[in-house]
Formats: sequence, C-alpha cells, structure tokens
Amino acid sequence: MKVSQGPLYLMVLPGVILVLIFSYGPMVGILMAFQQFIPAKGLFGDQTWVGLDNFRYVLELPNTMRVLWNTLYIATLKIIFGLIVPIIVAILINEVRHMTLKKSIQTTIYLPHFLSWVVLGGILIDILSPSQGIINMILGLVGIEPIFFLGSNTWFPVTLVGSEIWKEFGFGTIIYLAAITGINPELYEAAKMDGANRFKQTLHVTLPGLRMTIVLLGVLSLGNILNAGFDQVFNLYSTQVYESGDIIDTFVYRIGLLEAQYGVATAVGLFKSVVSCILVTVSYYLAYRFANYRIF
Amino acid sequence: METKGYKYFTWFNYIFLILLSLLCIFPLVHVLALSFSSSSAASAGLVKLWPVEFTLSSYQYVAAKAEFWQSMFVSFQRVILGGLINFLLTVLLAYPLSRETKQFKPRTFLAWFLFMTMIFHGGLIPWYIVIKELQLLDTIWALVLPNAVPVFNVILLINFFRQLPKEMDEAAHVDGAGHWTILWKIYIPLSLPVLATITLFSLVMHWNSWFDGLILMNSPENYPLQSFLQTVVIQRDLSMIGSSDLESLSEISDRTLKSAQIFLGCLPILIVYPFLQKYFVKGIVIGGVKG
Amino acid sequence: MSKGLKVFFMILLAFSLIMTGCSDSSTSGDANEGSEDSGDVSIAENGDPLGKYDPVIEATFVRSVDETLKLLEGETVKDNVWLDYYRDELGINVKYEWIAPVGDQFDQKMNVTLASGDIPEFINVTPTQLKQLVDADMVMDLSKIYEGYAAPLTKEVLTADGTGPFDAATIDGKLFGLPNIDSSIDRAHFIWVRTDWLEKLGLPEPKTMDDVLKISEAFAKQDPDSNGKNDTTGLAVTKDLWDGYAGLTGFFNGYHAYPNIWIKDDGGKLVYGSIQPEMKKALKALQDMFKDGQIDKEFGVKPGGKVAEDPASGKNGLHFGQQWTSLWPLQSNRDQDSSAQWKAFPLVSVDNQPARPQITLGTTSWWAVKKGVKHPEAIVKMFNGFVEKNWGETAEFDKYYLPEGAEGTWKMSPPTPSPPMKNLEAFLSIREAVDNGTTDQLTGEAKVVYDRVKSHEDGDQTMWGWERIYGADGVFGIMKEYKDKDLFMRNEFNGAPTATMTQKQATLEQLQNEVFTKIILGSADISTFDKFVKDWKALGGEQITKEVNGWYKSIK
Repeated sequence: MKVSQGPLYLMVLPGVILVLIFSYGPMVGILMAFQQFIPAKGLFGDQTWVGLDNFRYVLELPNTMRVLWNTLYIATLKIIFGLIVPIIVAILINEVRHMTLKKSIQTTIYLPHFLSWVVLGGILIDILSPSQGIINMILGLVGIEPIFFLGSNTWFPVTLVGSEIWKEFGFGTIIYLAAITGINPELYEAAKMDGANRFKQTLHVTLPGLRMTIVLLGVLSLGNILNAGFDQVFNLYSTQVYESGDIIDTFVYRIGLLEAQYGVATAVGLFKSVVSCILVTVSYYLAYRFANYRIF
Repeated sequence: METKGYKYFTWFNYIFLILLSLLCIFPLVHVLALSFSSSSAASAGLVKLWPVEFTLSSYQYVAAKAEFWQSMFVSFQRVILGGLINFLLTVLLAYPLSRETKQFKPRTFLAWFLFMTMIFHGGLIPWYIVIKELQLLDTIWALVLPNAVPVFNVILLINFFRQLPKEMDEAAHVDGAGHWTILWKIYIPLSLPVLATITLFSLVMHWNSWFDGLILMNSPENYPLQSFLQTVVIQRDLSMIGSSDLESLSEISDRTLKSAQIFLGCLPILIVYPFLQKYFVKGIVIGGVKG
Repeated sequence: MSKGLKVFFMILLAFSLIMTGCSDSSTSGDANEGSEDSGDVSIAENGDPLGKYDPVIEATFVRSVDETLKLLEGETVKDNVWLDYYRDELGINVKYEWIAPVGDQFDQKMNVTLASGDIPEFINVTPTQLKQLVDADMVMDLSKIYEGYAAPLTKEVLTADGTGPFDAATIDGKLFGLPNIDSSIDRAHFIWVRTDWLEKLGLPEPKTMDDVLKISEAFAKQDPDSNGKNDTTGLAVTKDLWDGYAGLTGFFNGYHAYPNIWIKDDGGKLVYGSIQPEMKKALKALQDMFKDGQIDKEFGVKPGGKVAEDPASGKNGLHFGQQWTSLWPLQSNRDQDSSAQWKAFPLVSVDNQPARPQITLGTTSWWAVKKGVKHPEAIVKMFNGFVEKNWGETAEFDKYYLPEGAEGTWKMSPPTPSPPMKNLEAFLSIREAVDNGTTDQLTGEAKVVYDRVKSHEDGDQTMWGWERIYGADGVFGIMKEYKDKDLFMRNEFNGAPTATMTQKQATLEQLQNEVFTKIILGSADISTFDKFVKDWKALGGEQITKEVNGWYKSIK
C-alpha cells in the first residue's frame, strides 16, 4: 500500500523552520569559543581570534581536574538515581488502589519541582543542620552521630544527589506512570491466568512494558553527564566544600564574574556539548545494535 | 484473591508513599507558614511549619500590588499560547518521525537534527540577537516562539506513537484514510495519557521559565510571573549595600512577603494539575487491539 | 548520516551568512553616524549648568530596578517626579530603552546590549565595561564637557571622595566616565555588641582586641540569654567572610591586616593586603576561637541571611559590620525582645596603635556617553539637577529624595551622585541642633532622619535601628572620630581590572577564601598561610602586583 509522503513533509515543516531559526541560528555563537570575545565589539565585530587559547586557559587553571572529576561524579550519581527512583515510585504508586490517595500522592511528589533552589537552599540549611536539623535528630534516634551534610566533603556530593532526586523524581515518575497506562491490560490477564501474583506481574509484565521508556530516558540523561546542576550547587555550596562540590558550571561562573569572559564560557560549553554528544551517540547505536531499538 | 503477603505489602506501600508525600509537601508548607507569619519572627528563624504571630499583611500587600497581577496575566497568556503551540508542533513532528525510514525518508536525519539542539547551544548573545533582529523583543512571541519545539517531548511522543500497533494504520490506509486522518482519528485518541503528560510538562516549562523573560522583555510590565518573582526573591549581595540604601534595608528581611508571592506563584499549577491528572492516573484501555 | 551532516552544515552556513548580513549593516550604520556627529559637539554653545533645552531633547537610557522600591501612588519607573523635573525644568525627556532587575540579570542584559551594538545614549557602566567601550571606540571623552558644564556644587560633591572616582574612569589621560559617586567611608566596619548582655555578665566595653576576644568567649559560654542552654555563639561570621554584616574585615583590621585591598608599603609601592604577615596572627586568633566553640560550627555553609537569624532570635550578641546593621538584622532582635540593646564601638587593635578601618571605593558605576550624541552635556546637567534638588540652595529633599510614604524615590533619577559625606553630615547637623535646641530648624535629609530618631525616643520601637545610627551615641559619632583622626585605610588601586587580574583574580580569590576558611575551621594548620602566600604569588599574584604598580605610576 503506497501512501503519499507529502503530508508528512508538511507536518514537520513549521517545527523544522522554528528550530532552524531559534536553535541553529544562534549556533554561530559557538565561534566565540575561539575568540577573546568582547561584547562591546559586537558579535561579528573585530574580535581577536585566539585559536585554542580559551581551552588551554581553562585546562591550565589549578583546579580544573578537581572540578571535572566532581562534575562527573555528581552527575553520574544523579543520572543513576534519577533513573531508578522514579521507576520504583511509579510502580509503587501504580499499586495504590485508593484513587484519591493515588492522586494526592502524585500531586505532592511533583511539588518540590516548583520551588527554586534559592528557596530550597535556605530550607535545606535548616533541616540538614548537624546541631538542630530534623534529619540529624532522626539519625540520632538510631544512634548515628550527627552528619554535617552541607559542610563535609564526604557528604556534600551525596547531599546534592539526594536533594536533586527529592526535587525532581516526581517529574520522571509521571512519565513512567503514563507509560504504565500504555501497557496492554490483556497481558496482565494472561499473567494472572498463569498464576502470577502481583509481584511476578510487576516483574514480567510491568517492567518489560517500561523497557523502552527506561532505555530512552537513560540514553537521553547521558546528555547530562557534565551537567551537575548549576542552580543547586550555586545555592548550596561554600568554600568549605569546593573540594568536593565545585562543578564546571560554578567554576566558569566565578571565572567570568570579574569580566564577561564569554569566550571561555563558550569554550567550556562546547567541550561539554561534544562530550555529551559522543556519549549519547554511542549509546544510541548500542541500543540500536543490541536491543534493536532506535530511541528516536 | 489477594495473598496475605500482598496485603502486608499494600500497608507498607501506603505508609511509605504517604511519608514520601509528606517529605515533598514539607517545603511548600514551610513557605506557606512563613507567608502568614510576622516579618520579625520570620527573620529570627522561628517559623517552621506553623505561622508565628499570624498575620495576613503579606497577602494584603501582594493583593494591592499591581505588578504582581499584571505579570500573572502575562504568565497566563504565555502558558496558554505557548502550551497550544507546543502541543501542535509536538504532535506534528512526532507523527512523521515515528514512521519507518521507508515511509518517511528524512526521519532519521530530522530526529538527529532535533536532538542536537538539546546538546549544542549558541549561547546567550547570538540567541538574543536573533530574537532582536526578528523584532520580537518585548512581545509575547519572544517567550513563545523560541521555545516552540520542546524536543524532549517530541522524542517522548515519537516513542509512544511507535508502540501503537501498526495494523491500525494499515487498516486505515486500506479504508482510504490519509495521514492527517490517521493522526487525528487514531493516534491522538489513543495517546491521551502521554499527551496529558507532555502538555503538563510544557505548561510547567512555560510557567517556570524566568530567565528569558528577564532578558527578552524590555519593560517590567511585560515580565511573566516567575521573572517578576525572581526580582523579588534574589538575595542582595550584603557586601555591596550602598550608603544611600539605608531605607531599603528593612525590606530585605521581608521573607514573609517573598513567601506569599512564591506560594501564589505555585497555586495555578496546583489547580490545573488535577484536571490533567485524570488522563494518566486511570489509563486508557486500548480497546480491541492486540499489543 | 554523512550526507545529513553535510546538509546540516550547509544550512548552518547559509544561516550564519544571512545573520552576518543583518547585523553588519546595522553596526556599520551606527559607526558612520558616530564619526559624522562627534565633530559637531561644541562645548561653548551653552555653559549654563541648569539651562533648559528648548525645544525639549530626547535622551535614551537603560536602568535597573530593585525589589525594595516603594513609590508614591501613581508614580512608576517611567513616570515620576524626577523624570518630570528633567523634562520640565531642564528640557530633557528621559526614555528608557529597557529596564531590568539589579544584579546578575542586569549585567547580562547589559552585555547582550553591548554585543548587539545598540547601546543607549547615556549608559551607566562598571570600570570593566567602560574599558571595553573605550576599546571599541563607542564612547566619548567627557573631560571638557565636565569642566564646561558641571555646577560648582556638583564639582564639590564629585571630588569630595578624593581622586579615586576619577582615576577609575580615566584612560590614557582622558575622562570617559562621570562617577556616580557614593560614599566610601560608609563602608567602614564597627564592632556591634549587645550591651544588655555586657551588663548582665559584668563585662567592660571593648577597648582592645583582647576585650573583644573575652566578650566573644563570655557570650558563647556564660549563657548570656539565661535560658540554661548552651545555645549562643560568640562571634557571628558568614560563609562569605567579607560581608557588610558579620564579615571579618573589621576583625582583621584590628590586627593591622587589610584583606582584599591594595595598600602602600614603606617603600611607597602597592602591595596586596591579604598576603601580609599581619594576616597570619588574625587567622590564628580566629582558628582558636572556632576551636573553642565561639564561632558557629556551621558558619562555613551559612550565608548572611541565615547567620542573621542568630542575633534576631537572641542567640548572638557580637559581630563586625558596617553602620547599617542595626536596621537589619538587629532591628528584628529588638522587635522580638524589647530589652535587647546594641551599640556600635570603634574597631580596636591588638597593640597601642589605633586600628584603622579599611575602605574601598564606594563609587561602583560611571556614566559614559555614546559617541555621536548631539547633547552629551545633558548628563552633566542631570548631575547638576540631581545634586541641586537634593542638597543645593533650592533643595526640596522631601519631594525628590524621601517623600513621606515612599522609599527610594531618589533612585528614579538616572544619575544618582550622592555627597560621600552626606550621612555623616546629617548626623552632625542633628547632634548640633539637639545640643542647641534648634531641631525645628533642621532641613532636608537631617530633618527626615531626626524625625525617625525622635519618634524612637517617643516610644516607637520600630525606629530603634535609626536611633542606633543617628542617636546621641550612634554609630556616626564613631565615624566622625574615624574621620577626624584620619584613620581610614583606603584601597589604593581604583583602576579597571588589569590584564592578569581578568585572567587570574577569580582563581586567586578562591584560593584565598578556601585557605582562610580551612585555617579558621582548623582543617588546615596556620602554617598553610605561608604556603598560600607563595602560591598566590606564583599563580599570577606577582604579575598582578607589577601591573597594579604600573597603573599606580601612570596616575601619579
């Protein structure tokens, strides 16, 4: 059956044009990575070309390696837990039969997403305080010594990951819940016939049903391998935990403070993009190769 | 026919999820408590989850603040217009891109073309200049058009469309239906849960964005709500307070006022959310189709 | 894919070419306009400092707004008493091209504006931005315009803070920016102490650094709030170390150490205060205090707003800070507990030499004029008008500066040059009037402030913070002492950041703050300081010192 492809071209046209203008248009700015860019001279003005100097400059700063490592460490943990937690919560919520309760839980877990890190930062300092914070009080009940979550270099990255998951897991959970609704109910019926209990149904029907969504979100999240979350870190960190908590974005922000160093910032951004691009591309092909699934 | 073990699990599950919800609702309750407290109690850090020295003065102040309501209006405009455009473009892109390569040749190229915009960015300056050259500055279109294609949502939808059984398309084609009909009559009705999801995401994205508003709007009257709130919430650099600024110092401590505005800023989403929810809590039974 | 890539790059290329076309035409247009007009400016045409333009001219600006503005009913940023004055009295119609909130976003908006080549006629910039504008040949030399148009009072105000404000905007001997002058001395630090606690514990007022250390120890350990709990801290410190509230600047000054500023050494050369040996002793003292539990164990993660909760809730009674801390956060303490009393004391020192409070340039922005503007002197006239209407013969302070029921009305004028000594002068005239019983003759700012002090004396507790600043034993009494004894230690470097500063300063500052914090926390030994000095020099500090001294010679 041969169907005309014409309408398909027509459908993508408006979106493609807008993306071309508003996303690809500005990409000429990537050239700034190779300039000593001075805003007052204009985008196409008489800027000085410096080749790879911006990259070299950043590499030669004393803390670059530490910052890169912190970023990778924090971002990797965030990716892993950011993937797992929503799946578990979505499955648990799916088991809730009480409709009002189900809806309320869903609404509330999405709430932290709406508060900015400036606001949450102040709250976290309170609840994580080793002397008066509620978290440490609870830990104290089970005999754990107070932990200085925001001030200890061992715990700071953990705190970042934990609070990020807390703020954002509601978002991922919604996607999985939507995916679960897409699973064919007949599959559950069939599993019941075979005598599978709820747990087995989850294992053999729900999880496989979510496989594609998991692979998709997993691959896409690899694009964030060098994004450890500027807003969050910026609002929570302090000199005390630079050692474990300073990430690429906060580092670049501080370098740029004194003078708008757009060249350097763009160079770092380009580096991050290239790394994510490689990672995502590789995993895209791996998924295609081994699961025979094209994620997009 | 539930086993005993499942019953135990259910109880454990309920308790766990309720605790989790409490953990998530706690910061907003704190903000709410602050907004009803007196300013000095708030700046002494005495307010936890219940208002101290209860007062409505913050809300009275906000209620009389024209800028707040004006920016709320801009936000509504943005969310409705932006959400509509997002929805249309997402569906229109996802459908062709969910075809096989032999059905729609450039699909793979276009998918990558879209995806790359998630990774590569030109940066603030050229982005601003593009929007400026198109004469969009200070108009609602500057907030809507550059974000017209939410790529993440498109990719999500492509994947859901692809999971729909292929037999339906073929049957429809045999009946003489074109792509427009199939999209409209089959795909959209069958994808309501995911469409509700991406709609929620795009509404929330538009509601929460603040940076573009600050950079692209030339006058504060045109700020959307979150941009306006940003001007209220940011903390002043305490090493930079000028000598002429003494009068404004008392305002810095006004955390209660900030809290009231933050809370009011969340409210519309809290109201809209349950309406969208009914589409993905229950799930839509795909009748009579094999998976 | 390779074919796809090719197509992609073709499109990108085509697009960038189109883009280049657009903005090229617009920027070159601007440049032409500039070179044609700049010759036409004749300075002698109208030398009247407050002469009115007829017909009214239009002048474009951009501006920042902050969250604390409270204007009178019916006034807006675009329509208010100042803009009316400039239009009706001076014939200058102010038009804002854009308005953005103060801070990061304003800077970013400014940078995109600079990059798009579309700057307003009159622009308020930092030294860095000014230098960029000069390099890009976009702004004009204001030396003659300033000389020709500035009213005597304006000149008096602008030069009252030394040559620093002008040095910062002078490049190759030409003045490119008029200082939006603000007070430097108001940034000096004081010791703020809860005096009701002092009395309760029978402690003397601080006269030496030793006294301060004793007060800190007693406040931390002798339960000054008598609640039977060990919940008070000695010295309040913020994680940022150098804040105007609970910063450490004043503490270091007590040890004759001057962090973050450039000071003259015995040989007349500029050296960086943070690396001088005096720093070490002060850091050691802080380390000991921390070890002893006098400083909040969690100070390292607490920003000023968070630390401020301690004094407000009666858990702290000692900090170093600027003159305004009684308005915030101490006023909150008073609101909660009407028996709480605070007083500011002058900085004290470790030896018999007086402590010298360090100050940096209070002026942080300068007004530049775009090349090719027809009436560049309009900005000078606005300076004249602002100064005249607030502090001149015809001043109407309660109309233009602080009308009843509004806050920040003065900020509605684009330029806001304020006499650097105005707060001190207001204090002096209030005290004089009180002594002579002539308070009913006070005018302008002094009157407004006096009314607040008076209303506190009449029982209004919400005005307590003002009384602490302008009252009989208010903080400005100490300021006068600082000034009369010429104690201020000024930052001698006021130029735009040097080349190496741009590259390395952020790293060096981070190094410094990291090492200092670690030393205070005790996680690094005090000997780390010597290593820091070596590292600082090696990582670019040496080079910066050379450049700073080069600049210093160039302005002499």
